Amino acid sequence: MADKKNLIPPGWDYNPAAWSERIPIVILAMIGFFIAGYLSLYQFELIDSVWEPFFGDGSITILNSKVSHVLPIPDAALGAFGYLLDAVTGVIGGTGRWKKMPWIVIVFGLAVGPLGFVSVMLVVFQPVLFSAWCTLCLASAVISIAMIGPAMDEMLASLQFMKRARKAGASTWKVFWGSSSEIQKVE
Amino acid sequence: MWARIINTLLGLWLMIAPGILNYPKSAADSGHIAGPIIITFSVVAIWEATRGVRKWNIPVGIWLLVAPWILGYETTVAIISDMSVGVLVLILSSIKGEVKKGYGGGWSALWKD
Repeated sequence: MADKKNLIPPGWDYNPAAWSERIPIVILAMIGFFIAGYLSLYQFELIDSVWEPFFGDGSITILNSKVSHVLPIPDAALGAFGYLLDAVTGVIGGTGRWKKMPWIVIVFGLAVGPLGFVSVMLVVFQPVLFSAWCTLCLASAVISIAMIGPAMDEMLASLQFMKRARKAGASTWKVFWGSSSEIQKVE
Repeated sequence: MWARIINTLLGLWLMIAPGILNYPKSAADSGHIAGPIIITFSVVAIWEATRGVRKWNIPVGIWLLVAPWILGYETTVAIISDMSVGVLVLILSSIKGEVKKGYGGGWSALWKD
């Protein structure tokens, strides 16, 4: 591609929206989706037991807890949806998406960031509230945490681009949604 | 890199120590909450673009130093463990480490003119 250099943000040494940057995150999100999906099968009572090699009744205690059913949908199903959102928003758009479609990068960043943090809070609640641990819940939290750092660089590039757009007098609203005529004003 | 990894291990220790050493409830709860928070911030800070997140561990480190006195730990080993981890987390969080690549001024470029 002739404009590959163009896709490196000013002041950066690499393109944070390159596929080599995004594919590992998408793979992690898919693994998270399968783990959370499996746990939600138990919460929906489609399977009778859940794989738990270390903590005895821990997983069952956690997955049946009041906190996990505080919302109309069980928390693992919500987690599975979150991972799916991470994977889909990680895949959509080409390698120039940090400036050509900031909205998807920002939705991706928000989905990975807050979702990761919610997972950690769920880990925190487990021993404090129920004196129990859940192997697959912990695995899912580890995946969520590992995704945050590598996803944030792309969001930073998009936010910096929107800031330059505002300074250049372009409409940040139109740039956010990827209007190419507005984006050209920033170059 | 190693500063973040040691902090991650310290967070892991905070999570498992209450079970191993039979902490009383308040000391155990503190470890079970502070541990995962330290792990999260440390792992996120491994990447250069989010290296600044290491500093978010500073309030957690300070909490570990004061928690034994606020919560009134009665187990000496819990006091020693939490305060040592607190000191180490504070020191390690202040180590920036190597940042090799450029990030267009980083996050602070967003609010600077």
